[in-house]
Amino acid sequence: MASTGKLRQRVPVSARPNFEYDRIQEEEHTDDVFQNPNKRHPIEKILETDNASVVVVAVLTALAFALRFYKINHPDQVVFDEVHFGKFASYYILGEYYFDVHPPFAKLLFGLAGWFSGFDGHFQFENIGDSYTQNHVPYVGMRALPAILGSLTVPVVYAIMKQSGYSTVIAAFSAAIILFDNAHIAQSRLILLDATLIFFMSLTIYAYVRFQKLRYREFTTEWFSWLFATGFFMACTWGSKVNGVLTVATIGVAVLIDLWGILDYKRSPSMDYFWKHFAARAIGLIVIPFTIYLSFFWVHFALLPTSGTGDSFMSPAFQETLAGNEMLLSAQEIRYYDTVTMRHKDSKVYLHSHVERYPLKYDDGRISSQGQQVTGYAHADENNNWQIIPTKALPETGRGRIVRHNDMIQLLHVNTNTVLLTHDVASPLMPTNQEFTTWPRDDTSRFNETLFQLSLIDAHDGEAWKSKSGYFRLVHGQTRVSMWTHSKQLPEWAFRQQEINGNKNPSEKTATWFVEDIIADETGQDPKERTGHQPPKVPKKMNFFRKFGELQLLMLQHNAGLTASHPYASGPLNWPFLIAGISFWTENDPQKQIYLIGNLVGWWTCVVALSIYVGILGADLLSRRRNSNPIPAPVRNRLWNSAGFFFVVWAVHYAPFFLMNRQLFIHHYLASHLASALIAGAVLQFILSETINHPISVEAPTIRRHKRQYADIGLKGPIIFVLFSIAMFSMFVFLAPLTYGTPGLTGDQVNSKRLLSSWTLHFAAKKTAEVVQ
Amino acid sequence: MNPAGRAVAVDFVEDEFEEIGYPETLPTYSPHMDESAAARRRLGKGRPDGAEEKVWFDDEDDFKAPSVRTFSGGRPAQLALPPPTTLREFLSQNMPSIPPLVYTLLACYTRFHRIGLSPTVVWDEAHFGKFASHYLKREFYFDVHPPLGKMLVGLAGLLSGYNGGFDFKSGVDYPPEVPYVAMRVMLATFGVGMVPLGWFTAIELGMTQWAAHLVALMVLFDVGWLCISRFILLDSMLLFFTFLAVFCLSKFHNQQAHPFDFDWWAWLAMTGISIGLVTSVKMVGLFVTALVGFYTLEDLWNKFGDLRLSTKEQAKHWGARILCLIILPILVFMATFKIHFMILNHSGPGDAQMSSLFQANLHGNDFHNNPLEIAIGSKVTIKNMAFGGGLLHSHVQTYPTGSNQQQVTCYHYKDENNEFWFWPAWDQKDTVWDPKYGSHDPSDEELRFLKHHDVVRLVHVPTTRNIHSHPIPAPITKANWEVSAYGNATIGDVQDNWVVEVLGDVVRGDVNRYLDPKSSTVDSRARIHALTTRLRFRHQVLGCYLSAGRTSLPQWGFKQIEVTCAKEEEGSKPAEGSIWNVESHWNTRLPPAARSLSRSPFITDFIHLNIAMMTSNNALIPDPDKEDLLASKPWEWPFLSVGLRMCGWGDQQIKYYLMGNPIIWWGGSISLIVATFVALGLVVRRQRYGGGKGARKPAPNSLNGDSGKNGAALVARPGDGLTQREWAQFWHVTKIAGGGWVLHYLPFLIMGRVTYIHHYLPTLYFAVLMFAHLLDYFVFQVPSTPSANPHTVPTSGVSLSDINSIPKMIRTFRALPRMTRIKLYVFSLTTSAIVGTFWWFRAVAWGMEGPVRNTWGLAWRENWNIYH
Repeated sequence: MASTGKLRQRVPVSARPNFEYDRIQEEEHTDDVFQNPNKRHPIEKILETDNASVVVVAVLTALAFALRFYKINHPDQVVFDEVHFGKFASYYILGEYYFDVHPPFAKLLFGLAGWFSGFDGHFQFENIGDSYTQNHVPYVGMRALPAILGSLTVPVVYAIMKQSGYSTVIAAFSAAIILFDNAHIAQSRLILLDATLIFFMSLTIYAYVRFQKLRYREFTTEWFSWLFATGFFMACTWGSKVNGVLTVATIGVAVLIDLWGILDYKRSPSMDYFWKHFAARAIGLIVIPFTIYLSFFWVHFALLPTSGTGDSFMSPAFQETLAGNEMLLSAQEIRYYDTVTMRHKDSKVYLHSHVERYPLKYDDGRISSQGQQVTGYAHADENNNWQIIPTKALPETGRGRIVRHNDMIQLLHVNTNTVLLTHDVASPLMPTNQEFTTWPRDDTSRFNETLFQLSLIDAHDGEAWKSKSGYFRLVHGQTRVSMWTHSKQLPEWAFRQQEINGNKNPSEKTATWFVEDIIADETGQDPKERTGHQPPKVPKKMNFFRKFGELQLLMLQHNAGLTASHPYASGPLNWPFLIAGISFWTENDPQKQIYLIGNLVGWWTCVVALSIYVGILGADLLSRRRNSNPIPAPVRNRLWNSAGFFFVVWAVHYAPFFLMNRQLFIHHYLASHLASALIAGAVLQFILSETINHPISVEAPTIRRHKRQYADIGLKGPIIFVLFSIAMFSMFVFLAPLTYGTPGLTGDQVNSKRLLSSWTLHFAAKKTAEVVQ
Repeated sequence: MNPAGRAVAVDFVEDEFEEIGYPETLPTYSPHMDESAAARRRLGKGRPDGAEEKVWFDDEDDFKAPSVRTFSGGRPAQLALPPPTTLREFLSQNMPSIPPLVYTLLACYTRFHRIGLSPTVVWDEAHFGKFASHYLKREFYFDVHPPLGKMLVGLAGLLSGYNGGFDFKSGVDYPPEVPYVAMRVMLATFGVGMVPLGWFTAIELGMTQWAAHLVALMVLFDVGWLCISRFILLDSMLLFFTFLAVFCLSKFHNQQAHPFDFDWWAWLAMTGISIGLVTSVKMVGLFVTALVGFYTLEDLWNKFGDLRLSTKEQAKHWGARILCLIILPILVFMATFKIHFMILNHSGPGDAQMSSLFQANLHGNDFHNNPLEIAIGSKVTIKNMAFGGGLLHSHVQTYPTGSNQQQVTCYHYKDENNEFWFWPAWDQKDTVWDPKYGSHDPSDEELRFLKHHDVVRLVHVPTTRNIHSHPIPAPITKANWEVSAYGNATIGDVQDNWVVEVLGDVVRGDVNRYLDPKSSTVDSRARIHALTTRLRFRHQVLGCYLSAGRTSLPQWGFKQIEVTCAKEEEGSKPAEGSIWNVESHWNTRLPPAARSLSRSPFITDFIHLNIAMMTSNNALIPDPDKEDLLASKPWEWPFLSVGLRMCGWGDQQIKYYLMGNPIIWWGGSISLIVATFVALGLVVRRQRYGGGKGARKPAPNSLNGDSGKNGAALVARPGDGLTQREWAQFWHVTKIAGGGWVLHYLPFLIMGRVTYIHHYLPTLYFAVLMFAHLLDYFVFQVPSTPSANPHTVPTSGVSLSDINSIPKMIRTFRALPRMTRIKLYVFSLTTSAIVGTFWWFRAVAWGMEGPVRNTWGLAWRENWNIYH
């Protein structure tokens, strides 16, 4: 039993010996229940033996493997987020640095699986629907990994229930909810992270339950083993996907409740005892998991030594640690009178100008300065060349000629011999932003308006401006706008190039630029010569913890930034009821599709069980408040402590999504769904019988022996289980074409599978519209 | 197991309780009575006036919820004093009334001082002054806030002789006929009222006089509260009613020992009324309502566990709460709307927010000049009949997504972009409206009245585009199809055709029963009437219905309501948002129909207006494209990271800067952090050691049973150093102040709308209470034991003659007990800091004249844009 701590109770037992009082409470009603083991139903007796349990779990596991591996080679195409995670696996094999919002553990496993099954990493998983067979990708081997983990989740669920003291049938019931669930199956047959996440999350629960059962044998080797196992699995969960941090939070909540109980004077008369408990948990559940989590990243960095798609997300210092990184190869200090090309960091356009002028009047009636156009241009061109003109006296030679942070500069457009200027005229597309134009170099009448301050990002005073690595903002000296561009195109008069304008926010994040290349120095020579010949650059070293910190911060930022709307995103409230699923993949010709949706029978059973559970708890609270105790104490403790722990798992994995602004999908609920399956088992046990297997904790010799009782669910249990499994299986088979993506369905078949009108299935037959006239 | 164990719990022995005898001699009032000795240690052990009612201290709180009969914090019961016989006695008995009186007078000074200095419309006076004008002119207007505050502004205008003729343009000088000073003074009176309320609330919360002084001083000298109270704004009323609600709640709490007494009822009802009032000023009042709600839930939960209360008593408790805290506030809230509707009986700028029927009953409305029956060729505006629905609208701007065609929205103001023609469908070529003629003069055509199942086009008058739908997802509600305006008089397709479906008529009921499918002529009774007939428009091709929800479009749609074509399950009930009626109706060929319509019921108008308020409140989300200099984020408030310029900053202008007294704001916020740790520490200690000082008595050996080796430790179990009463007192105030703060602060973090620093002003009150409470807990409530100094002068005996010369004063001071001296130090330090900073910053609230750089040293934090 997973005692998550004592709840404050109102039983008037004042003059009892208070030591072990919570254990005594468990015993309170044992006198009331008289059980004769011989009266047990023979079938139940058989089921409760160890051998029967082994048989049951073996059957469940075999079925799980069968259902998850069935036609795993179909479709032989890239499905949904395989686009991302498959690609990441190939990056591990190639060693190219990439960036993703999720921690690397699950992706490392995929890389391993791919490497193991002989994938050479050449295939890039570009689009949903790309063929694996044509590109000779050993995708079955990669899909087998989540399928194995997903299958193993089923026996783990069984074991959680069994270890928590529920009957074999009840444990099998919970496991069946996962076993036959279309959503879990669909999610674990593809190269996606969730199967790994769910598997390690269930293992975390299992380990914690085992740990709690040993609470009378504290500080034994066994006790420590399960504590550390909890920490280990927790780290694996967290390392698989960002959402795994919720599992960490769950264990955190449970441990806090547990420690809160230990803090009581009656449990730990000396404070040392409490601190010992505290320290053990701090090591097992904070230090060890964090070390493991760090080690995932260490492996991650170690496996990805070369430059790749993730470079541009990272800071220049980070990028210089990657072999073959452009920044590393060609970063050079820029000197005055160098001719350079500049690019916008986000949209990668060059700062460009050409002789054409802004039209005097725009379509919406606003007036321009009619100055020379300054635009963003995506391709290399002579017109992208700008020369850096100093505004101060320079020494003849030497390092005094290097352009530095906060210097005031002019930018000369080489081809037209005009200097960059901005002024208080509205830009062509945005009335709120300033227009950028150029001004003849010889005409000094507007000199002050041509001055720009070079503001390097995160730079210290006097830092030199480097090509490639020196990200900068160009802030206008007079009006303090920063040179900015956005993805909107100018009309035909500017050849549909991108608009450049002045953003009123001088520290605008998206107004970041960098120097792509130094074209020529003052004398027109290639500047690469000027520092003499250098040996080929080796990647720089950077402290692992700094790398880790930087990546972690970026992951958080990007995760929060995933707010764009998605046609299959859905709100958390819809999830338990299966209001909407996700279309993973479609194939037109045979009308095949994969639609992520759960087993309606299982999910709705879970919802009903959750509401019954909350109802029972509420009723129990109210009646105890009136000093009546309708539920026998062992059963009540099981409900509050064991099922209560499952409920915490469910709530902590679910509630935070209500506060998130990022796009959410139904597969975010799978962890909570697993917890609700556990609750469903606990509730079924409660409904079937007033008794419970008790005690289930490992007893210590110093503790008084508990009165034994067992859960007496008779023949009702097996019958209900069989009926329920049949219902689950039928529903599973009914929805299977959507889960496996085969066979193809006719329009009418699709319509019949659309059990809820909110499911957006493809290829539905049109209902013949009735024409009223 | 000990069989007697269970019995012991209820076996209370009489003499375990301290009998408090009736006092032998009744003291006259002495100010020292309220201090530590009295307030903290002595009281609360029984009711001096009722011998039969005892306070039960519960030793066994590990197993029981705290007994409800214990005192739960708050103000200790006071002794009735004998009638005064001498003047001295009279004075000393009435001493407690002196400080609040002085503070009120001071408040009058700070609030009214130079109140008319700025003769211009400052900040939001532009809004609320305008609303007052509307009340005086009795024109219907619309605003997101409930009406009480604005009606009071209107009343202030009425009392001061304002005629409602000024339009309160921001920054404009008041003309001589606008009595703005009188209006400001009347509203500032609410600000004056805050100060005595602060004092009395502190007293009712059971704080010492020291702490009460601090609360009153902080309320008096915060420049934020001061500044906001001095203008024609709603905030002074909001603050006053918030303070009132907290005061009533603490007053009610102190009546808990005498349930169903007159006072008990009175203060419960007052609490209900005050939360009704505060909510009727601004919806922010719901936060203080939530505080009252949580307090009541906890209270009832305790009562529910009190087995000594009979079921009838329980029911009475529940009933009283439901009556006074739910029904009564709702009635107050609704009454303000009733008055609002009664006053505003003329047509005005807010008409279009309301239902057509409501508008028709406003004086000056021209609906009665409109023709009655709609015909093909009529020009109309079309109103959505759902609560909060607007007028169908289109404008030249296009959708940035989907089809990129012209937007169709729902709009809540009257303008010509709301006008549409009913034209025949494209395929009805037998009419003169055949597009190839290009002429739409219907005068030579036989008049054809619209009826159920007619197919029409809805043509937008200013742009001549047709309302159109197509299988492209709508911009926000992706499940529905987009509705756009497309084509013109000659270009179009069948997707412009809409089938008119008549659902019925508000007045005439089901008019479709007069339709005869066999007859080609239309029974005149089946015709569609303006204002009253409920219509739907079904898209002829897609079968979906023209609908408006409550979702606002983003900035590109000017925050107007999204209009979509909603798919509907067959046989389901028509969705509210898909029902429309014709509002204005122009047709030169039809005579105006004078008719009087019955009023729409008040409750309908009430719901309608509230939903409209909610919808436009939700649309007040910050615009990411626009930087609003005035707006600030909630986390910038507690430590006063920002201020707000309330008016222009020119050298010649009188400038007001909305900020707080830094000492009060910072102190309040720090004390909230400290309080969190103190509370946490107390809870942990209680969990570790159990509650009550020395509460745990040694267990008799016989009961120790087999747990002998731990029994010894049990006996020596230390308490947490607080008596039951101190514990209750600490938590009562902490819950009110801390809970109130959280409830007033967190919602701002969660909600997406634009926030300004003045949203923190009600929240600040709870921080102030916490500040005083913590000082009280750590300093002022600590008992002053007599000092070991041999020259001790008894504290109670300090009289005027002891301090009439400075050496004597010093001697007396040094003779005071050490704790008393510490209290004096702490008190004078805090007080002088508060008063000093107030004086330093007084100009920001009283008005800065001349160039702002002439006043030196105001920008204590970088972000305060006082200077630049």
